[in-house]
Amino acid sequence: MRYEFMHLILSRLRASLLLLLPLGISPVLAQQKVDTTITLKSIAGLQYDQPRLVLKPKTRLRLVLENYDDMAHNLVVTRPNARVRVVDAALRMGAEGASRHYVPDMPEVLAHTREVEPGRADTLLLTVDEGAFPYVCTYPGHGYVMYGILYGTRDPKRLPPPEADPYLPKRGSTADHAGHHQPSGHPYEVTLPAVYRTFMPDCGPAAIAVGMPGLAGGPVQSYCFDAGICQLRYAWSGGFVDNADQWDGKGQKLTKLVGDIYYVASSPGRASTAGLTVSTATKPGSAPAPSPAGLVFPLRIGNKPAGHSPVVQFRGYRLINRYPEFQYVVDGVTVRELIKPLPGGRGLVRQFSIDSAKQPVTFLADEQPGLAYRATRAGKTAALRNGQLLLPAGTRQFTIFMTVQ
Amino acid sequence: MRFSLLYLLSALATTMGLLLWSPWSVWSPWSVRSPWSVGTRTTYASATNHPGKWSVGTRTTVTGIGAPTERTTVIKSRRTAKIKTRGRATADTITDYYSVETVPTPPGLVAETGGLAFMPDGRLAVCFHRGEVMLYNPKTKQWKLFAEGLHDPLGVIAVSNTELLIVHRPELTRIKDTNNDGVADVYETVIDQFGMSGNYHEYAFGPVRDRQGNLYISLNAASNGAGIRDEVRGTYDPLGRPGRMYACVPYRGWVLKQTPAGQVIPYALGFRSPNGIGFDGAGRLFVTDNQGDWLGTSKLYHVEPGKFYGHPSSLVWKKDFPDIDPLTLPAQTLDSMRTKEVVAFPHQRMAHSPTQIVPDLTRGKFGPFGGQLFIGEMDFSRLLRVMFDTVGGQLQGACIPFFDKAGLKIGNNRMAFAPDGSLWLGMTDHGWVGDRGLQVVRYKGGTPLDVTAMHLTATGFDLTFTQPLDDATARSLTNYACRRYYYKYHREYGSPETDKQPVAITAARLSPDRRTVSLTVDKLVPGYMYEFTLGDLRAGNGTKKVANRLVCYTLNRLR
Repeated sequence: MRYEFMHLILSRLRASLLLLLPLGISPVLAQQKVDTTITLKSIAGLQYDQPRLVLKPKTRLRLVLENYDDMAHNLVVTRPNARVRVVDAALRMGAEGASRHYVPDMPEVLAHTREVEPGRADTLLLTVDEGAFPYVCTYPGHGYVMYGILYGTRDPKRLPPPEADPYLPKRGSTADHAGHHQPSGHPYEVTLPAVYRTFMPDCGPAAIAVGMPGLAGGPVQSYCFDAGICQLRYAWSGGFVDNADQWDGKGQKLTKLVGDIYYVASSPGRASTAGLTVSTATKPGSAPAPSPAGLVFPLRIGNKPAGHSPVVQFRGYRLINRYPEFQYVVDGVTVRELIKPLPGGRGLVRQFSIDSAKQPVTFLADEQPGLAYRATRAGKTAALRNGQLLLPAGTRQFTIFMTVQ
Repeated sequence: MRFSLLYLLSALATTMGLLLWSPWSVWSPWSVRSPWSVGTRTTYASATNHPGKWSVGTRTTVTGIGAPTERTTVIKSRRTAKIKTRGRATADTITDYYSVETVPTPPGLVAETGGLAFMPDGRLAVCFHRGEVMLYNPKTKQWKLFAEGLHDPLGVIAVSNTELLIVHRPELTRIKDTNNDGVADVYETVIDQFGMSGNYHEYAFGPVRDRQGNLYISLNAASNGAGIRDEVRGTYDPLGRPGRMYACVPYRGWVLKQTPAGQVIPYALGFRSPNGIGFDGAGRLFVTDNQGDWLGTSKLYHVEPGKFYGHPSSLVWKKDFPDIDPLTLPAQTLDSMRTKEVVAFPHQRMAHSPTQIVPDLTRGKFGPFGGQLFIGEMDFSRLLRVMFDTVGGQLQGACIPFFDKAGLKIGNNRMAFAPDGSLWLGMTDHGWVGDRGLQVVRYKGGTPLDVTAMHLTATGFDLTFTQPLDDATARSLTNYACRRYYYKYHREYGSPETDKQPVAITAARLSPDRRTVSLTVDKLVPGYMYEFTLGDLRAGNGTKKVANRLVCYTLNRLR
């Protein structure tokens, strides 16, 4: 029996003894490692009494939330690295939120309780997968400090010690995870900005992870760029990556991102922009294949009809003060894209340079709730209309500011 | 002490009925001594060299521990005749001619070596599994970081003192320091016109460059040890998905060529795990492939454009190939389509997992094997050496160990000749058997007694040695044993030695210069490995002992 499992049993026993609550599972049953019940308490100071749970993958878990605080809470289990995204979405629910227990309708939510009034309890059920799953109270404002992490792992020894765990709330400091010192795994410290070409989750296999320092008091920010389709896939804040699993052995496992995702490029079904899809030329001389990601490509060169699939080719990058400036070809036109963190907050500044200025260029904003777009051209504000920035022929450079509101 | 330890080990091995050492080395002081004396790594791994293939009876006359004068060992192989060997403590060892040294790597570096190349200024560019590219200056012994963030880089060409070509999982990348601060700032994509399914086994190897400036890379097939990602790069073809090793995205199992003008040409196909790619001094392209499905044993291919080398899945990306799963073709059909290896490396006996190919173009700085190919080996403490023969206008040939169990680490994944003629070796384990780090083998001078050429004749084989042999040992038929077998070409993983037969040697003639032994063998049958085991051949009036006793000839066609 693994120690973390013991720990869970003990914590459950302690809960049952102290609270005299009938839990319906005997220690013998619990030892069968099939089902387990964990009782979390929400306590004063916007916190759960246990901020870290460690379980074996495939455990069928019953999670009970008992509210010992004097205000209402809930408990939402999210996809890895999706806590802040879910919290932000809950905040945007506004007046509608209360009637829906402040649980936004989005795929990042894996399981949730209802609103739990003081002195009450509610239960959720889920099967634990391998990975790190945040649990969080999505009541407005709570989620930035009131959260914990549920690990599904067969190798708990590889978890960071709680004091260095980037997924645990930091009491008495900001919720930024960047200050922790973890061994780099290299013969040097990793200096941000930094680039890793690696296998990233929710991206094509030719992924590039870029970590960037926080600017003007903003958090450390990172993003994932897909070299296969020449496109920004998602961005997160509060950390960079953990390569331990990917580096281990033969290289099948994915790099884990550290921090909270705040932007994910939308597929057409979810995006408000009109339908362009991306193709990559892979077989010399053959027809381009549709993008497996099915994403809207953000640039349109010339007056192409709607539904045109740009052919893209990745050309690499150069480092400018360690920031990669990607170069790729879109329908024969070379484009360079330099992505930097938005100073002072969460968001990205994307500077596009167009080598040939013979044709107009359209930037198609991937508009999403909670995300604001702004653009400049030649130092002046350029207007986005209906999520599109129309750039006349002759445009050599423009900048897109993506700001999390 | 040394001999008492040896005696103890041998006695133990005999008692247990297990032979841990290669039979020839049981009582030869030199070959056993070296792992202890060099001390970089004890070579227990070599113990698996001949598991169960031999039974050994030892009759020893030891006049006193630590002072052996003469011993006789009778070694019986299952299929070959008895061979009587005589060992003398006075004989030389390979470490009299070559030294091996471990090169320290920086603290904190996990030295899984993916590529080695010397820059024009003599610095060594090394890329490692975690994406670091570091430069080592052999004069100052200093390491310096040049580039970072690559995805499992597995090969490098040094274009100049500021520019490297490195292949890693997603692409071949040109990495340049354009502002001369010693650190790379440009990462240009050179070749990425191939697919990635996300399967871990889709490694990319190379690059190598021919005299015209064309670049070549080789692409591993995926493994059914794991699946593929939801998103892939490139076209997905379900017809390439079945099988133990598979090619469901473009050009897995291929060699790709890029012309100086930038055109990418699918060059040759039918590879499984082509971890070695290289040219010989004559400009011929070779690839090593690893034993597994469709490879009864590991092989060396002479790669020519358009040819199919036998692993079927890659056929789905051949232009004129019909829309079928290649595995539905009968093995006979596939067999008729394939180009056979020029040299096979008998599994276990010679190699488990051959790696990089480097030609010795050092003009004698690395010893007497100039022009020949050296090939790395993952699981045994040795390198491989290849001796070509041209028969009917086609290449075939033999392989022989080099520096066997003499102090090399295992896991020799990458090799590069330095300007001074030393051979630098980079180790990896990468989730398999192996080791980590960097070693260098230096030629000290002198001439070890070894086979330097092997040619097929109408009646047998000519074995040419590095120097004149002692008459008596060379003419003695008891000093030569031969057997033949073949490896099956089939879907299953690996192959037993099939149709194993002893081959009688009926004559051994020594050339007037005493360097070539012409062996007449009972029967020559194409399609078989001819495996020779040499006895205690000597040179220099008994002072030089033949360095390697196993030599295997791949007989594709008769002369």
